[in-house]
Amino acid sequence: MSIFEYNGSAVVAMVGKNCFAIASDRRLGVNLQTIATDFQRIFKIHDKLYIGLSGLATDVQTLHQRLVFRHKLYHLREERDMKPETFASLVSAMLYEKRFGPYFCMPVIAGLGDNDVPFICTMDAIGAKELAKDFVVSGTASESLYGACESMFKPDMEPEELFETISQALLASVDRDCLSGWGGYVVLVTPTEVQERTLKGRMD
Amino acid sequence: MKLDTSGLNSMVPLYGAEEDSEESILSVPSSFQLPRTTDFDGFQKKAVQMVKPAKGTTTLAFIFKEGVIVSADSRASMGGYISSQSVKKIIEINPYMLGTMAGGAADCQFWHRNLGIKCRLHELANKRRISVTGASKLLANILYSYRGMGLSIGTMIAGWDETGPGLYYVDAEGGRLKGKRFSVGSGSPYAYGVLDSGYRYDMTIEEAAELARRAIYHATFRDGASGGVASVYYVGPDGWKKLSGDDVGDLHYLYYPVTASPVDQEMSEIPVS
Repeated sequence: MSIFEYNGSAVVAMVGKNCFAIASDRRLGVNLQTIATDFQRIFKIHDKLYIGLSGLATDVQTLHQRLVFRHKLYHLREERDMKPETFASLVSAMLYEKRFGPYFCMPVIAGLGDNDVPFICTMDAIGAKELAKDFVVSGTASESLYGACESMFKPDMEPEELFETISQALLASVDRDCLSGWGGYVVLVTPTEVQERTLKGRMD
Repeated sequence: MKLDTSGLNSMVPLYGAEEDSEESILSVPSSFQLPRTTDFDGFQKKAVQMVKPAKGTTTLAFIFKEGVIVSADSRASMGGYISSQSVKKIIEINPYMLGTMAGGAADCQFWHRNLGIKCRLHELANKRRISVTGASKLLANILYSYRGMGLSIGTMIAGWDETGPGLYYVDAEGGRLKGKRFSVGSGSPYAYGVLDSGYRYDMTIEEAAELARRAIYHATFRDGASGGVASVYYVGPDGWKKLSGDDVGDLHYLYYPVTASPVDQEMSEIPVS
């Protein structure tokens, strides 16, 4: 198995009507053995910007710490939060800096930009940005996730419906992957509130 | 190297004088055809790699006072992809003998069915049932003759014969071990942990079944390549009986129910005076 499949992961983000949801599984494994079932892969950058990192767990944690550092520095200098588009460019540049010794992570970025317009994008491990208007996926379960999201997604969903859809897509996909699952974690962000929920899934 | 192809001699041609080509649908070919290549060893190596046998499974069996318990999960995985959650890994060789499947599914299914045929032939020829010792020896000898050809089988033969309960571990490398407790597959270390610490010789059938169920459940929790349904079979003096088949997703919340945790942040209305 490749280095991206060493720890196992599944991350997905979806756009709704003036809101977005980002979800991940909770497993941390070493090849086939499960070590933990409460591993955090989705991190807050600021109230309206979240990043989900799939891939090698050590790089997930290091990259998260570095990105939080860079954003805090930006906040001190500019006295405001970063826009999601700008943050995506920052992540892309940081990943490409390590072009010949990369971080083994595939980030998923989701945020509310100007006028609370939802923004999502994903990248490969060396920073190739891919913007999307509907959903983005990443991780060992990505192929199953593409299929599930493609069939379940509808444009302009309200927050409750978006939460249902992303949860079902995530749980259905990780049930077909040996290396991810063991529960789910969903963050739903609207202009006025943030809801974090843990999903009850199959623990096998 | 001469292969022992007696494993394939199970059918007599229907019409007595059928001696023509092996492709006749009414007769079984007398040997597996081997490919004609210049580099046979290289071809063999590639063929073994193609099948890529990975024993992603958990099976276990143990003998106790009342008989034998046999238990297995039901997941089939190809690398990281789960190809099925409902595979029958406990194979019914005959009404009083069970075999477990670990390794290549096709290999296990074919050779177990073949073993069932040979056991029946033994019964008819000798007017008595074959012992578990004899059956496992038949299988082990056949597998030994195919050693190095890439068969992937890690099976346990469990049954009840005149001498009482019998349990043997047989694998495709030609090993055959008699024992009282076995677990086979990628989830076996986790299953052994639960099985070995909870085992007592004098358990009731229900206690033994629950031990097996828990052991399989714990293996499916920790091992990525095991999951699906935990089935438990019991082999007693009257033959085998399927006791239960529980989805391990439900078993988790049965053993570890979700308790309401204190809410960290909650918004509530403040009464205005």
